[in-house]
Amino acid sequence: MREISRTPSKDMAYFILKRLCVTFLVIAVTSVVAFLLVHLSGDPAAAMAGEGATESDIAAVRQLYGFDRPLIVQYFDWIGRVLQGEFGRSYYLRMDVSDILAEHMPVTATLGVLALSFAMLLSIPLGVLAALNPNTLIDRIALWLAVAGQALPSFVFALGLMYLFGVYFRLLPISGGATWAHFIMPAVALGYYATPAIMRLTRSGMMDVLQSDHVRTARAYGLAPWRVVIRHGLRHAIIPVVSLAAVQLGFMLGGSIVIETIFSLKGLGYLAWESIQRADIEVIQAILLVIATTYAFLTLFADLLNAALDPRIRMS
Amino acid sequence: MTVAADSAVPAIDRSMSPGRVALRRALRHGSFWVGGSILLAITIVAVLAPVLTHYDPAAQNLTQRFLPPIWAEKGSWDHILGTDNLGRDYLARLLYGARISLVIGLFTVLISGLIGTTLGVAAGYWGGWVDLVINFVVTIRLTLPVVLVALVVVALVGSSLSLMIIVIGLLLWDRFAIVVRSATQQVAQREYIISARAIGSSTARILIKEVLPNITGPLIVVASIEFAHAILLEAALSFLGLGVQPPEVSWGLMVAEAKAQLLFRPWMVAIPGAALVALIFAINLVGDAIRDVTTPEGRA
Amino acid sequence: MSGEPILEVKGLQVEIPVDGAVLRPVRGVDLHVFRGETVAVVGESGCGKSLTALAIMGLLPRAARYTCDRITLNGESLANVSARRWRQLRGDRIAMIFQDPMTALDPCYRIGDQMREILQQHRRISKQDARERSLELLRKVGIPSPEERLSQFPHQLSGGLRQRVMIAMALLCEPELIIADEPTTALDVTIQSQILRLLQDIQRDTGIGLILITHDLGVVAGMADRIVVMYGGEVVEVGACDDVLSRPLHPYTEGLMRSIPVPGQTKRGELLGFIPGIVPRQTGERTRCGFIDRCPYAAEVCAAGPVPLSAGENGHEVRCAVPAQRRDPQAWNRLTEAS
Repeated sequence: MREISRTPSKDMAYFILKRLCVTFLVIAVTSVVAFLLVHLSGDPAAAMAGEGATESDIAAVRQLYGFDRPLIVQYFDWIGRVLQGEFGRSYYLRMDVSDILAEHMPVTATLGVLALSFAMLLSIPLGVLAALNPNTLIDRIALWLAVAGQALPSFVFALGLMYLFGVYFRLLPISGGATWAHFIMPAVALGYYATPAIMRLTRSGMMDVLQSDHVRTARAYGLAPWRVVIRHGLRHAIIPVVSLAAVQLGFMLGGSIVIETIFSLKGLGYLAWESIQRADIEVIQAILLVIATTYAFLTLFADLLNAALDPRIRMS
Repeated sequence: MTVAADSAVPAIDRSMSPGRVALRRALRHGSFWVGGSILLAITIVAVLAPVLTHYDPAAQNLTQRFLPPIWAEKGSWDHILGTDNLGRDYLARLLYGARISLVIGLFTVLISGLIGTTLGVAAGYWGGWVDLVINFVVTIRLTLPVVLVALVVVALVGSSLSLMIIVIGLLLWDRFAIVVRSATQQVAQREYIISARAIGSSTARILIKEVLPNITGPLIVVASIEFAHAILLEAALSFLGLGVQPPEVSWGLMVAEAKAQLLFRPWMVAIPGAALVALIFAINLVGDAIRDVTTPEGRA
Repeated sequence: MSGEPILEVKGLQVEIPVDGAVLRPVRGVDLHVFRGETVAVVGESGCGKSLTALAIMGLLPRAARYTCDRITLNGESLANVSARRWRQLRGDRIAMIFQDPMTALDPCYRIGDQMREILQQHRRISKQDARERSLELLRKVGIPSPEERLSQFPHQLSGGLRQRVMIAMALLCEPELIIADEPTTALDVTIQSQILRLLQDIQRDTGIGLILITHDLGVVAGMADRIVVMYGGEVVEVGACDDVLSRPLHPYTEGLMRSIPVPGQTKRGELLGFIPGIVPRQTGERTRCGFIDRCPYAAEVCAAGPVPLSAGENGHEVRCAVPAQRRDPQAWNRLTEAS
C-alpha cells in the first residue's frame, strides 16, 4: 500500500493547536476548582481576619474583598484581573500579589530545575547501565536504589542530609538561598524522589528497545556500541522518560513546600506555607493557579517533545 | 521479532484458580516475606500498643524532658527510647503513631479506591464520551498540586483526623482510575464479556461478576502504592503542622517537633524517620511482590 | 561458483537454556556458500533457519549460545571473534537483510542518515561522498527519485521500497556475503517477484554469495543454485536446485512440494497437500528420526536411532532411513485423508 508522503510541518502545527486547546481548557477548569476550594473551605473573610477578630472586622474584610458577592461574579472578576496580569492584593503583606509572586518564583524555578537535573543525571545513566547488564550487580544496585528511594519521605531525607552535610561535616549551608551551594541539598532532597520512577522507566524502556528489530539491524551493520545504545536505543526509550520527567517537575513544584520550609528557601512553596498559615486568600489562590498552569504547560511541553522526537506521533 | 525456537511456556496447572496460583507464587517470593513480615510486625505492634507500653503518649512530664534513649550514657530501661521536649515517652509515641499511620492509610485507600475504581470501570467499560469526561476529570485532578490543596483545605476548615482522611481520600484516587480504566478496557474486550452480554446479562451483573474479579490484580498493586502514598502525605502534612494535632501522635509530627533538636539529639528525628521508612519500604516490597505474581504467565 | 567457499559452516548447534531444560533449535547444521552462488535455506517456522543465520552473524539473543566444528568467512574463523572484529565484519564483509523492513529500519532517522551512518562506520568517507554512494545504490536497486528518498523517513515509503532500501544498505560496503532472511514474506505478492528479481540481478552483477532463507518453496525455483531443506533444527536434504525440486528425496521436501499450487495443474477447489502435525519442541539428543511423527513412510528402522545425512550423487544428500524403493506411493493420500 503506497503511502503518500505528507508535509511534516502541517501535521505538527495541527497537533500543537489541538493540544493547546486542551491545555487551556484544563487550566480554565482547574482555576475554577482552585477558586472554589479556597472560597468554600470555610469562610474566607473570617479566616483572613484571623483569630480574635470581631464581627465588624470580619465584615470589613468581606466588604473589602467582595466576598459577599455571588461566587460566579467573584470568580470572573478574579479571572478577568488575572488575565490582565493582576493577581490581587495580599491582605497581610499589603503588596500586589503579582509582585510577591515575581519575587518568589525564581527561587522555586531554580530549585525545581536543579532537582530534576539531579534526578535525571543520576537515574538515566543508571537505567541504561542496568538495562545493558540485566541481573548483574549494577542492575541490582539500581533496583535497590529505586526501592530505597521510594521509601524515604522527602522531609526525613532532607533532615538527614542537613545533619550529615550541614551539621556533622559542615560542608554545605543549611539555610537561605544566597549562593549556589545553598541549593545543593534542597535540590537533592527534592529531586531524589523522582529517581526511582525515572530509573525504572529508562531501564524497562531500554530493555524493550534493545530487543527491537531496528536495534538488531544497527548491530547487524556493525555500528559502534554507543551508537546502537544511544542513537538507536535511548532515543526511542527516552520518549516516555521525558514525559515522566516533565510530570515529575510538576510534582516537584507542588511538593517544594516541604523542602523550602526546611531549608528556608524563599520560594513559592515557602510563600504558600506562610500564606496558608495567615489565610492570605488572594496569595493562596494565585499560587495554586500558577503551579497548576505551570504543570499544565509542562505536560503540554512533554507531549510536544514526544511528537518532535518521534515523527509517527504527529501523524496519528 | 521472534527468532527463538518454540516458546517455552511452562504448563499451567489449570486446576487452580488464578487467585490460588498467585498466592502460591507470592509465598515463594522473597520480597513478599520480607515486606510482609515487617508490615505484620508494625501492625501487631500498633494494635498491641496499650499492652506494650503503659505510658500515655500525650502525658507530659516536664521534669523528665530530653531523657536519652537506652543506648546512650544516661539511658535507662524506664524510657527505652528516651523522652521528648515535653517529657513524653518516645517509645509510646512511636507505637501510637503507628496506629495513626496505618489507620489513615487504610481508610484513605478505601475512599480513594472506591472513587477511582468506580470512575475507572465506568471509563473503561463504556468508553466513548464517558471515557472522555472521566479522563478530563483525572487530568484536572493531576493538575492540582496535592500537598498544597490538602494544606489549604485543612488550614481553612480545621484539621481533624476524619477531615484529613476525607481530604486525602478525595485526592489520591487518580492512579486507581487510570489503572482500573486500562485493566477494564482489556477485560471488556474478552469473549466472555461479549457472550455474557449476548445472553442478556444486565450491566451491573457483568460488572460485578466478570469485570471486577479480573481487575483485582492491578487493583491491589495500586492499592499498595496509594497506601504508602497516603501515609507519606499524612506524614508531610503533620510535619508541616497541619496534619494530626496534639494530643494525637503522628510520626510526621514527631519529626517536626524533633527538628529543632537535630544538632544535639539527632536520634529524635532518626527514630520516627526510620519508622516511616520501614513502613513504606515494607508496603512497597509487598506491592512489588503482588505485581510480580499477578503478571500474566509468559511475560518476561 | 569456484574455489574456496566464502562461508563455511560445519556442525553448528544452537542451545537455549530454558526453565531447567536445554532447547536445541539448531542441531549439527552444515552450510557452505561459494562466490556468486545463491543457497536457499527452506523450512517452516521453528525449523531453526533464522537462528542459523543469526548464529553465523553472531547476533544470537543473549540467552542462546552456539557451538560448531567450523565456521569461517573467507577463511577467517568466526568462532571466537572479538566484539570489535565483529563490528568490522558486519555490514562490511557480511550483511543481513531482515524480514520486516518497517521495523528493521529506525523510524526516527531519515534514510540518508541511516545509510551514511553505515558508510561512515566502515569507511573514511566524507558526508558528500557518502551521499553520492547512497544515491548510487538507491538507483541500483531501482528506487525512483532517490534524492527525495534520502531525506524521507521509513514510514513515508511503501513496503516494497523499504525493502529495496534495506538491500541498498546491505550493498553499501560491497560485502562478500548477504544473508536474506525471508526478504519477501512481509510484502505483497506482486512486489515479491520484483524484489527477488532484484536480488538475482545484483548477485549477477557483483558476484556476491547469497543465502536466501524462506519458508516458501515457490520463491526458490529460478533463484537458487542449491537448496538446503531444514526440519527440526537439522538439514534433512541438500542438493542442486533442479535436483531437489524435480526429485525430492526427503518426505518433508515431498510434502512441501505437494503443498504448492501449480498454475495450470491444480484444479480449483482441490485440496492442497499439507503435512499434518506441527513442529515438535527440540530438547535433548535425537534418539530417532526427527520427522517420524509426521512422515507417511515411517517404519521401524526410523525409530532405531538418529538418522545421519547420507551422501548421494551430485552432492544431493538426504537424511532418511527409508529409501525410495520401499516407499508406498499412496502413503501421502492416506495421511492427509486421515487428518
